[in-house]
This record gives sequence, C-alpha cells and structure tokens, in this order.
Amino acid sequence: MIHFLTQVGRYFMFLRKVFAKPEKHSIYYRQTMRELVYLGLYSAGIIAIIAFFMGAVITLQTAYNTQNPIYPKYLIGLGCRDSIILEFSSTVAALILAGKVGSNISSEIGTMRVTEQIDALEIMGVNSASYLILPKIIATLLFNPVLTLIGIIVGIFGGWLAGTVSGVITSENFIYGIQYAFTPYYIVYSLIKTLFFAFIITSISAFQGYYVDGGSLEVGRASTKAVVYSSILILLFNVILTQLLLS
Amino acid sequence: MITVKNLSKSFNGKKVLDDISVTFETGKTNLIIGMSGSGKTVLLKSIVGLHEIDSGEIWFEDTLFSELNFTDRKEIRTEIGMLFQGSALFDSKTVEQNVRFPLDMFTNKTPKEKNERVNFCLNRVNIVKANKLFPAELSGGMKKRVAIARAIALNPKYLFCDEPNSGLDPITAILIDALIKELTEEYSMTTIVNTHDMNSVMEIGEKIIFISNGVKCWEGNKDEILHSDCSTLNDFVFANSLAKKLKAAK
Ligand SMILES: Nc1ncnc2c1ncn2[C@@H]1O[C@H](COP(=O)(O)OP(=O)(O)OP(=O)(O)O)[C@@H](O)[C@H]1O
Ligand SMILES: [Mg+2]
Repeated sequence: MIHFLTQVGRYFMFLRKVFAKPEKHSIYYRQTMRELVYLGLYSAGIIAIIAFFMGAVITLQTAYNTQNPIYPKYLIGLGCRDSIILEFSSTVAALILAGKVGSNISSEIGTMRVTEQIDALEIMGVNSASYLILPKIIATLLFNPVLTLIGIIVGIFGGWLAGTVSGVITSENFIYGIQYAFTPYYIVYSLIKTLFFAFIITSISAFQGYYVDGGSLEVGRASTKAVVYSSILILLFNVILTQLLLS
Repeated sequence: MITVKNLSKSFNGKKVLDDISVTFETGKTNLIIGMSGSGKTVLLKSIVGLHEIDSGEIWFEDTLFSELNFTDRKEIRTEIGMLFQGSALFDSKTVEQNVRFPLDMFTNKTPKEKNERVNFCLNRVNIVKANKLFPAELSGGMKKRVAIARAIALNPKYLFCDEPNSGLDPITAILIDALIKELTEEYSMTTIVNTHDMNSVMEIGEKIIFISNGVKCWEGNKDEILHSDCSTLNDFVFANSLAKKLKAAK
C-alpha cells in the first residue's frame, strides 16, 4: 500500500517535470511532428485492420442473434454502428494502442535510461522528462482522436461489407440502420474517452520507462508493467467516464 | 577549479562514498583511479549532480553547485561536457545530429555556423566521413570519439570522462588519452577522468586521486605514484606481473 502511494506521488511529480516550461519551442515542435508520425500515423494501419474485422464480426453476430423476423433487419446496422462508436473505437482501440504504443514508449525511454542517454541530456541542462515525453503526450492527444474516427469509419464499412457480401442484410437496410436514431453525442463521448486514454497510455508508459533502474531485463519488465497498468487504468476510466458522460 | 568537500553518498543504506575531499585544477587532466566498484562513477556523477549527495559540498569556482536547484544548475551545466562510460550517444540521431544537439538546444547560431562547428569538432576527434551514420553503425572507439566531439561542442569549461578508453586497443586508448589532454590544455578546461588503466595514468596523470571502497586513500601525480607507501595503491599500480618484475628489479 505504501509502495503504491509513493508510486502515485512519484507519478505526479514526474508529470510536473514533464509539463515544465519547454527550453526551446522550435525543437519541441520538431519532436512533436516526429512523434505524430511514429506514434500516430504508424498506428493507423493496425487500428484500421482491427476495426474492419471487428465491424464485420459484430454485424455477423448481430445478424445471427436477431434471426427472429420480429426484429427489423436494420437493427443489425444500428447494432454495428453503436458497438463500434461506443466501445470499439475508443476503449478496444485504446487497449490495442496500450500494447503497441505503450510498450514502444516505455522500452524506448527505458533503454535511454539504462544507456545513460537520459543522464547525457540532464548533464547538458536539458529537462529530459519534458524534452522526451511532452512531444509524445501532445502527439497522442492530437492524433488518437483521428485514430478513433478512422476506427469508426472503417469499422462500419467492415460491417457493411460483411453484411452485404454474406447476404445477411441488404445494403439499403444497413445504411438505414446506421442512420436510424443516430446520436451525434456518442461520437463526442467516444472522443473524450480517447483523449483520457491517450494521456493514460503515454504518461504511464513513459513513467515506467523513465524510472527504470538496471539493465535490459528491467527495461523488459517496465514495458510489461506499462501495458498492464495502462490497460487496467483504461478499463477503470472507461467505467468512470461512461457513468459521468452518459448517465 | 572544482572543489569537493566532505562528500558522502550511500545507496539504500550502503555507503559508497565516504567523506571525500579533493580539489580538481583548471587546465589539468585530473584522474580518479580505483578498482572496479570502488565508486569512481558514483563520484563523478555526484559531482555533476546526477546523484543527489547525502552530505558535503561541491563548488564550481565560487558557486556552491550542490545547493542549487535544477533551474540554477542549468547555467553551469551548459558549461559541462561529459563522456559517459557507455558513450550514451542518442540512438535515434546520426553522428552529426548528436554533435549538433547541444548547439540546437542552447545556441542561436545559424545552420551554417552549426555545421561548421559540428565538422570542426568531428575533425578534432578524427571522425571523417561518418556524419550520416547512426551510433549502432560505429565501432566502440568511434562512439567514444563522437561522444567527445559532442561533449566539446559548446566549448565547455569542465570536461568529465568516465573511462574514456576502457574496452579499446592500446593504441586507440593512448590516442584518446592524448586527445583529452590536448583539449584540456588548448581550451584550459578543468578535466576529470575516471580510469583504472595504468597506461593512462602514466600518460596523462597530472593530478591523481586513488579511491578504494569509497574512501580517498592517496593523492599525487604520476611520478609520485610509483613511490607511495599506500599498500592498496601499490597493489593496484603493480597489479600485473610485468610491473611487479620491474619493481623487484629496481
Ligand atoms: N544506482 C545505484 N544504486 C545502488 N548502488 C549503486 C548504484 N550505482 C552504483 N552503486 C554501487 O556503488 C559502488 C560503486 O560503483 P561505481 O559504479 O562507482 O564503480 P566504479 O568505480 O565506477 O567501477 P567500474 O570501474 O567498474 O566502472 C558499487 O558497489 C555499486 O554497486
Ligand atoms: Mg564506473
């Protein structure tokens, strides 16, 4: 318990260091652009692929569960739309990114710690936490909402394709379904969750990497911890935010 | 000049440095020698503030460095160049970008001036035609030399080198030692070098301190080191059989 509380304390002190005033804006700007590509753009592919298949399987499952003729067919499109918007595009995508981006960040920062690259930055008078991590946080906060939108679009497309190709639903019915009783606020809800999750993934993983003590074994352990802790926090905040935003 | 007064440092209750006092002089290569695990790296990192010390004082000229906070330390840190035991080059940057990094961060030079400075520093350490390579593509000795180039990019007043020539062949090792000594004299820096290599000691040791188990046992220069009465130091200096034979012959 005491260990847990000291960790929480250290985490907030770490954040204070990360959000200190940047030394030189032009360099931070350049770093942020770089992270937008590495952490954001390079994740678009995996999110699109998974969204596509999730949309497809949700549609097929909904179709098989609603074979009774009393359910109108367009419900399949509606079910696909809402599952994708409410849960997949934010929470499931965040869990995937925790694995991909989180482990990447913590092992990169952790390796820089054990090979003394962070010490080298400190010695030059650079605030290493801010220089290394602030651009990553900004980049993920900016780009993860884009990933969420990609997830929504590709997911629903996957649903449409699977539904029409397999013949469980006609194209008209599906399109009617995804427009039926549409609540734009769901998208806002999803984007808000995404912002929280992006911050959790980046800051927790960076924190784990930044305080690695030891060698490559510890770097490996830190990235495991980064993925586990950020996943747990994502699930926890999913419940809290859903209660706050949808009730 | 860097002055250390009564410095002590422990990790988790285990004392690593015990009441060390020493003065490092300007324009000289000051050596810290001692066996592996004796506390050399910890001493060097404590002096530059990478480890918080338990007690004692560290002065850079007339500034009590150990009492400053991060922001105030910055000013002195831009005058420090440091070569780490493992080189610590930035993996994601090329050789050229590594050396340019401190210039980007702390100067307002034009890109052309920066390029000139980068090439000057790289030439100074005999790195040619490697500007676009990444650290992973360099040999150990090249990494050390690039790290020296990066350390001197901002014309530091203080240069710290942690085992600059460990793991290198004897010829390259001597070249690097000579380079450090030359740079020190040329720019009149205060240089501190950690080493456990007796060749370096005899080549460049103008002022030497010997630490053993975190205690400073001896202080002097390279001529005095052969005639000390300190038995742990003698064991260290005359560790190899060749040196032992020479001493016996004397
Ligand atoms: N971060 C740390 N946490 C705990 N103990 C440490 C830490 N760093 C060093 N030590 C301990 O301090 C002692 C001195 O280590 P140091 O790295 O200074 O040795 P050294 O003289 O540089 O040796 P070498 O020549 O092998 O580099 C060792 O016993 C080491 O276990
Ligand atoms: Mg050492």
